[in-house]
Amino acid sequence: MDYEVVIGLETHIQLNTQTKIFCACKADSWNDAPNTNICPVCTGMPGVLPVLNRTVVEKGVLLAVAMNADTPPVSYFDRKNYFYPDLPKGFQISQFDCSLAKGGWLDLPMPATDKDPAYVRRVRIHKLHIEEDAGKTKNESVGGYSRRLIDFNRCGVPLVEMVTEPDLRSADEAAQYLTRLRQLLRWIGVSEADMEKAHLRCDANVSIRPVGADYLNTKTEIKNVNSIEAVRAAITKEVERQKAEYAAGRKIESWTLEWDEDSQSLKKMRSKETEADYRYFREPDLLPVYLSDAWKAEILAGFPELPLARRARFISAYGLPEYDADILTGERSLSDYFEQAIAAYGGDPKRASNWLLNDVMRLLNESGLTAGELKLTPAYLAKIIKLVDDGIINTNTGKSLLEKVNRSGQSPDEIVETEGLAKVSDDSALRAVAESIVAENPKEVESYKSGKVGLMGWFVGQLMRQMGGKADAPKARAIFEELLQ
Amino acid sequence: MKLHELTALEITQKIKARQVSAEEVLDAHLRRIEAVDGLPGRLDGDSSAEPSKVHAFITLTAERARAQARAVDEKLAAGQDLGPLAGVPVTVKDIFCVEDTPSTAASKILANFNAPYTATAVERMEAAGAVILGKVNLDEFTYGSSNESSAFQPAPRNPWDTSRVPGGSSGGSAASVAAYEAPLSLGTDTAGSIRQPAAFCGVVGMKPTYGRVSRYGLIAFGSSLDCPGPLSRTVADSALMLQTIAGADPRDATAVTVPVPDYVAELEKGVRGLKIGLSPEYFQITYLDAVTGKLETQPVPDVMKNAVLDAAQRLAAMGAEIVENVPMPHTRYGIPAYFVISRVEAASNLHRFDGVKYGYRAQAGITDLRSMYRRTRAEAFGPQPKLRILMGMYVSAAQYSEQYYNRALRVRSLLRRDFDEAFAKVDLLLTPTTPTSAFPIGGLYGDSVLMQYADQLTVPGNHAGVPGISIPAGLDADGLPIGIQFLGPDFSEDIILRASRAYEVATESESWRQAKPALAE
Ligand SMILES: [Zn+2]
Repeated sequence: MDYEVVIGLETHIQLNTQTKIFCACKADSWNDAPNTNICPVCTGMPGVLPVLNRTVVEKGVLLAVAMNADTPPVSYFDRKNYFYPDLPKGFQISQFDCSLAKGGWLDLPMPATDKDPAYVRRVRIHKLHIEEDAGKTKNESVGGYSRRLIDFNRCGVPLVEMVTEPDLRSADEAAQYLTRLRQLLRWIGVSEADMEKAHLRCDANVSIRPVGADYLNTKTEIKNVNSIEAVRAAITKEVERQKAEYAAGRKIESWTLEWDEDSQSLKKMRSKETEADYRYFREPDLLPVYLSDAWKAEILAGFPELPLARRARFISAYGLPEYDADILTGERSLSDYFEQAIAAYGGDPKRASNWLLNDVMRLLNESGLTAGELKLTPAYLAKIIKLVDDGIINTNTGKSLLEKVNRSGQSPDEIVETEGLAKVSDDSALRAVAESIVAENPKEVESYKSGKVGLMGWFVGQLMRQMGGKADAPKARAIFEELLQ
Repeated sequence: MKLHELTALEITQKIKARQVSAEEVLDAHLRRIEAVDGLPGRLDGDSSAEPSKVHAFITLTAERARAQARAVDEKLAAGQDLGPLAGVPVTVKDIFCVEDTPSTAASKILANFNAPYTATAVERMEAAGAVILGKVNLDEFTYGSSNESSAFQPAPRNPWDTSRVPGGSSGGSAASVAAYEAPLSLGTDTAGSIRQPAAFCGVVGMKPTYGRVSRYGLIAFGSSLDCPGPLSRTVADSALMLQTIAGADPRDATAVTVPVPDYVAELEKGVRGLKIGLSPEYFQITYLDAVTGKLETQPVPDVMKNAVLDAAQRLAAMGAEIVENVPMPHTRYGIPAYFVISRVEAASNLHRFDGVKYGYRAQAGITDLRSMYRRTRAEAFGPQPKLRILMGMYVSAAQYSEQYYNRALRVRSLLRRDFDEAFAKVDLLLTPTTPTSAFPIGGLYGDSVLMQYADQLTVPGNHAGVPGISIPAGLDADGLPIGIQFLGPDFSEDIILRASRAYEVATESESWRQAKPALAE
C-alpha cells in the first residue's frame, strides 16, 4: 500500500530579549554558571509577582505578523498547573484560549528533485502564544543514589510556542519548514534561532495514512531533536517504522519517542496516557495584554520585506536564478547588502550577484561577520565592479582590491590611485616598452617571424612583468602584432 | 497618658517635637507586649496555654525594631527630615515577607523560611520611619476567620474576652492593635480578613480598592481578591498608614497608577452632601443549613442592625443624605462564588510549596520524587490548606470548570454590577461588618463552611474590588465590640475615611468609646 506521511511540528522559540519575561534577570545564560541569573521572582519565592516585559509582546507580534497570523486587540495569560522540580511556581505562565495570535501560515518553496518538480507547501499555524520557560534538570548518580540538580537560570526565559497543523507531508518538508522558520526568526530579529543552543526546539508529531485517506491515524511524538538534520533523520526513521508496523498487521500506539543522536535511533520514552489536565485559568497577577493599534503600528514600523517575498522578487525583478536568489536571501544583512550594491552599481544584477556569491561570501566566511559589518561597503563593491567593467583595472586586480578595501576601509579609488593599480592602456607607454623589448630580443623576434607565433605570449608576459601586471593585455598584444609584422 | 496608648499620629508628633524618643516609644510597647501577649505561637505549641494572654505574635523582632528606632532618633538628632511614620511601632501579619525574618504564613511548610526580600508595603512603612515590632499570627495561609487554624499555637485570643476568637484571618493584627501592643498593623483582606477581626476586636480595619496597595511580598491566597490594608485604633491612623503603603509598584502589575490623595488632609471634611445608602440585603444573612442542605435566610441580630441605623441617624444629623432600600440582589451569592474562585487560585498558589526549594521537606519514607511531594505536603499543610487544595483542584478540573469556576466568575461580574448600580445612586453604603460578634474559641472551628459565612457581608467588596472599612460602633450585651462597615466605589478611600471620621466625632462622648479591653498585666 502507498502511504502518505502526515507531520505536525511543535516549536519552542527562545526570544532574544535582554531580560526575562517576568523579571529583570538576564535572559541568556549560555555562558553562565547554573543559578547565577536568578531572583525571587523567577525562582518562585513566596509572595512574588510577575511583571510583563513588553519587548516579549513586541517580538511575539513581529513573529505573528511574519507568520501571517491575526493579532487580536486583547490577549490573556493563563496558568498551566503541574508539578515538576524545575518549575518553581508549580505552574507555568502561558497563554491558553486567548493568545497573542490567531491562525497564520507559511509557504514553503520545495525545490525540484529527480522525481518531482518544484512546488509550494502551505503550512497552517494552529497555535502561537508566548510563555515562560522552565528550568533545567540534570539527573546524576552519586554513590548509588540518584539525584537531580536544578538550574533555574532558564526559568522565565521568554518563549514563543508555535504549533503547525498536520500539513507537512515529508521529512524534507519538515526540514524545509525549520530552515525557513530559522531564516525568518533571524530575519525579523526575534531569536538567534540556534538549535544547538536550544533557541529553537522542535517536537514532531508523525503519522502515516493510505494515500487519498482523509482521516488521521494515531501519531507518535518525537522529542529531543536538536538539529534540522536530526529532525529529518528521526522522521524518516519513524515513517519507516510505522510502515513496517502496518505491513506486519500491527497498530501504531501513541508513544512519545526520543531521538538519540549518537545511535541515530528512536527510543520509546513513555506511552501517552490520557491527556494531562493542566487546570488552566486566567493568571490573576497579570493584566490582559491590550495591543492597541498605535502600539502595533509602533512595533511594525520598519517591518522588513520577508525572505520568501524578497527571494521571489530577486528572481522576477532582477532575473536572478533561484540558486542565487536563495543564497542572497538566506540572511537579511546579505540581501540588504546586495540590493544596496546593485543600486549603486546600476549594471547587470547577475554580474553583481556573481561577485557577491564568489568573493564577498568568502570574506564573510573568513571573518565571521555579517554583510552589514564589512568595511567593504556595498558602494565600494559596486565601484570595484565598475572599475573592472570600465577596463580601469583587470579582474584579478579587482579581486585583490576587495580585500584591500575590506582591510583598510579606504575607498577603491584611493587605493587604485595611491598604489598605482590602474591598467596602463595608454598606447604610447605600451608601445615604448614593447619597442624596447623587440629591440633587446632579436633572437625571439627572428623565431616569431619565422613562424613560431606561440612566442606572442612570451612577448606579452615580458611586457606585463616590466609594467607590474598593470598593462592592458589585449592592447599590448595588438601592438606586438603590429611591431612584429 | 501611657506611651503605648498613643496613636500613631500622636507618636510621630511627639517624637518630632522631641518630647519623647523613638526608643522610649519602642520600649513602652515592648513592655506592653511582655505584659499582655504571653507565649508567642510556635509549631506544636499548646493551644490552651496561658488562656488570659493575647498571643498575637509569632516572631518578635525586638532587635531589628531597636535598630530602626535608634535610626529615627539619630536622624532627628542630626536634624534630618523624618518620615510620616517616624518611630511608630507596627506589627505585620506573618503573611508578608520581610528580609531575613521568618515568614511563616502560620504554616508548618514555611516554618523554617526566612524571606530573602521585603514586601513592598513593609518596605514603604520602613522607609517612612516605622519600627517593625515583628510578625503576628493568622489563620494558616490566611484560610479562616478565627485564627484557630494557625499551625503556631497558642493562637491569638480576643483581648476583650480571651475565651473568644479575635476573628481572622488578620487576627494577630487586630488583637495586637486592640491590646495596645502597637498602634498599627499591616493585614490582608481576601473576603473580610481585615474588616471582620477589626470588628471583633473593636478596631478600625480598612480593605483598600484592589490594586491600591501593592501585593508584592504578600504570600498569595486568592490573587484576584487579596488586598493589604491597615488596622489601627483610630480612623486617622488608618488614613496615615494607607497614605504610606498605597500607590503604584513596578513589581506588581496589578497595582494601579491612580494618584494617592492626601487621606489625612481630607479627614475632617465631614459628610455634608454625601449620599449614604442602606441595603436590605445587608441586614440579613443567607447560610447553608447543614441538615437540609438548603439556603436559609435570617435577619442579622438587632444589635448589629441598630448600630447601623444609629450611625445613619448621626450622619444624617451631620448633613448626609440617607438613601434606604438600595438593592444589592446578588449579595447572597458572594460566599458560594468565593468558595470556588478563591479555592482555584489558592490551590494553584500553593503548588510552589513542594519541598524542593525552601520550607519543609519530608525526610522519612521518600522513595521517589512523587513520594517526596506527597509526604511533604501531607505532613506540612494543615487541614485548611488541604481542604482548599482539594476543592480548588476539583472545581478547576477541565470537566468541571464550566460548571463551577466559569459560573463563579459570572456571578462575580453580577456582584460587581450590584455595586456599579448602587454607586450610581449613592456615594457610600453603610452596613454591619459581621452577622455576629466574636464567637467562643472552638465554637465554629471544624465547620469551615459555616465559618466562611462570617464573611458574608464583607466578601462582596472583594469580588467587586471596591474599598471598605470596619469601624468600632459600640459593644453588645456581652461587652464585645461590634463593627459597622462603609463600602464605596473604586478609589473612594478618602470619602470612606471622611465618613468614618465623622462617625468617630459623632460618638466621641459615648461611654463605649472609653472602654478598653481588661487585660491582666
Ligand atoms: Zn529573575
